[in-house]
Amino acid sequence: MDLAFTPEEQQFREEIRGWVRDNLPADIAHKVHNALHLTRDDHQRWAKILGKKGWLGWGWPKEFGGPGWNAVQKHLFEEECALAGAPRVVPFGPVMVAPVIMAFGSPEQQKRFLPGIASGEVWWSQGYSEPGSGSDLASVKTRAERQGDKYIVNGQKTWTTLGQYGEWIFCLVRTSTEGKPQTGISFLLIDMKSPGVTVRPIRLLDGECEVNEVFFDNVAVPAENLIGEENKGWTYAKHLLSHERTNIADVNRAKRELERLKRIAKTEGVYDDVRFRDEIAKLEVDVVALEMLVLRVLSAEKSGKNSLDIAGLLKIRGSEIQQRYSELMMLAAGPYALPLIREAMEAGWQGDFPGGITANAPLASTYFNMRKTTIYGGSNEVQRNIVAQTILG
Amino acid sequence: MDFDFSDDQQQLRDAVHKWVEKGYGFERRRSIEAGKEGVPGFSRKAWEELTELGLCGLYIPEDDGGLGMGPVEGMVVMEELGRGIVLEPLAQSLIAGAVLAGYAGADLKAAWLPKIASGEALVVLAQQERRTRYRLDVCEAKAAKTLGGWTLSATKNVVTAGDQADAFLVPATVDGKIALFLVERNAAGVSTRGYGTQDGGRAADVVLTNAPAQLVTRDGLAALEHAVDIGMAATCAEAVGVMDQTLAVTLEYLNTRKQFGVTIASFQALRHRAADMKMQLELARSMSYYASLKLNAPADERRRALARAKYQLGQSMRFVGQQAVQLHGGIGVTDEYIVSHYFKKLTQLEMTYGDSLHQLGEVSARMQETAGVFA
Repeated sequence: MDLAFTPEEQQFREEIRGWVRDNLPADIAHKVHNALHLTRDDHQRWAKILGKKGWLGWGWPKEFGGPGWNAVQKHLFEEECALAGAPRVVPFGPVMVAPVIMAFGSPEQQKRFLPGIASGEVWWSQGYSEPGSGSDLASVKTRAERQGDKYIVNGQKTWTTLGQYGEWIFCLVRTSTEGKPQTGISFLLIDMKSPGVTVRPIRLLDGECEVNEVFFDNVAVPAENLIGEENKGWTYAKHLLSHERTNIADVNRAKRELERLKRIAKTEGVYDDVRFRDEIAKLEVDVVALEMLVLRVLSAEKSGKNSLDIAGLLKIRGSEIQQRYSELMMLAAGPYALPLIREAMEAGWQGDFPGGITANAPLASTYFNMRKTTIYGGSNEVQRNIVAQTILG
Repeated sequence: MDFDFSDDQQQLRDAVHKWVEKGYGFERRRSIEAGKEGVPGFSRKAWEELTELGLCGLYIPEDDGGLGMGPVEGMVVMEELGRGIVLEPLAQSLIAGAVLAGYAGADLKAAWLPKIASGEALVVLAQQERRTRYRLDVCEAKAAKTLGGWTLSATKNVVTAGDQADAFLVPATVDGKIALFLVERNAAGVSTRGYGTQDGGRAADVVLTNAPAQLVTRDGLAALEHAVDIGMAATCAEAVGVMDQTLAVTLEYLNTRKQFGVTIASFQALRHRAADMKMQLELARSMSYYASLKLNAPADERRRALARAKYQLGQSMRFVGQQAVQLHGGIGVTDEYIVSHYFKKLTQLEMTYGDSLHQLGEVSARMQETAGVFA
């Protein structure tokens, strides 16, 4: 048992750190470090830089052009990116659909789709949730009817993150209503430029349009875009959900944001207020404990000796911590978090923010935005059901 | 970065586990608590059985008669003792062995380390005073230089197995600075008053009146902090063992007990509570690892880490203990059933070497700009 990373792992970290330092555009890092508004172009620029290096698919095996890193190396890469202020890679292409295409797609599909994902050229979206299917994903109703060499898709997806930028979308669609709900679902890749696809942004409580509704009105999808077999989509989706286990805890970002919280508290003069400082101290322990939990999972994956099936715990704890640091940042600024001046959340704004600290402008919005974390990806209540299932049967 | 146990560590765990399972069942513990093997809360016989496993010398170098092992081995052993809510205070031998080996002069080491390692001598830390609460830098005990050595005058409270121990490690001030001494229980001027503790164990008030003492180190505060940190890591590991068992019996109960015609494990309110207990247990286990893996770090880093760990463990212990009682319903508050004993043990462990509020203060005071395990 050893807490320290091996010299090889340490050297790997140094290499990543050096590369990120040299290649992450400063203007993007500035936005991330200050929770300023990121544009599509910001995301794409970073994705393409990673893509050119062959690291956008940092979790990919070598046979598909990835670096073939182990769990610890992947973690170190994610950590160095997060601490340097890189934007979170939009996961739908490289992290979510790509592993499914690798595992269940045909060689033709792999050749056709993977290069565009690896390079960052093609923006993918996720078509899972529906108005009637939130945490109960197996109840999806969007229909795909086979007509000759096409599927005709009708229905609606929702909560499609950054779908307004999407070029392709992977969808769970219903191809059969027989048997259990899980058995009639298929996994379909849909070109969002197809006639009949409409994307409508949903304005959220922070005023941003981070998610969308996606409507399908008699959309013709070539049958060759079906992944694997018809009615087996649920299996593929589950594979996808089990693929990323530690990533969902987002502990690296939590470390970065905890450091930022301390800076904000100092600027706002509450760092030496015992009552406030103790709240930061509690969060500090929470973050260390979460990181230890993540490291335990990574170690188990690396050695393969003992499996540690605690993905549900990671999701619950990680999301609670994200909410807490955003809450404390807002509380640190107090009344100076309240003015709603949207331009102040854009990089380079030169106006006077009330109280004189422009960095306070996005704090409340971020707090409001973070309420999503305990809802998405399987709400924390559903996660508790899953944990209970594991320990109680 | 590796959290696997070695084969040797696994064997050590198995050996302790076997002894606990065979030799330290709930009924025996109950009889020890009642004083049927000596005084209430301590059995010399059980202590000797423990010593036969060679555990007392875990942190003592091989040259001094010990096993020369490290914090991970200590953690493994304490987890297993926690599983059996064993009353005999092995952690004290871990503390005394490491502190004497690390800070004492050659004569004192030669005189005591082999005896501690063999279990012949039980040496316990006697730091608690009425006004110190959990602080280590507050000390009213006074040491005086005499012709042949030192004498101590002090009143120390709630000293683990104080009336059963063979000697005490006692912090006392010399010229306003804390030094650490060893005092034998049978020495002149030493009186003890023993009593049972809430967890079923044993403690005593120890009054020293010009009692002869041997100097361990003038650098008493550093040694005391180290001693307490070893105790904290042991406490964390022990607590993980207790919580493991507490959760296990609670889950079993939920799957057995029927109400309204169904097992109560079918109620979502209770399932979610069980999931929350599992969360607290795994956070606690993670932080117990962290505590042990930081035990040999430089003092500043070690203290910061141990405070973080003990804070997490304190929170977890309280939650797991309280909820285990709650989920058991009426049977959970009886003396007959084991859960109340787990609960009392967890409560006492939270209050050993600094409760959660105290530890939060430590974490808060020691906070740095950076964050995380490696900060």
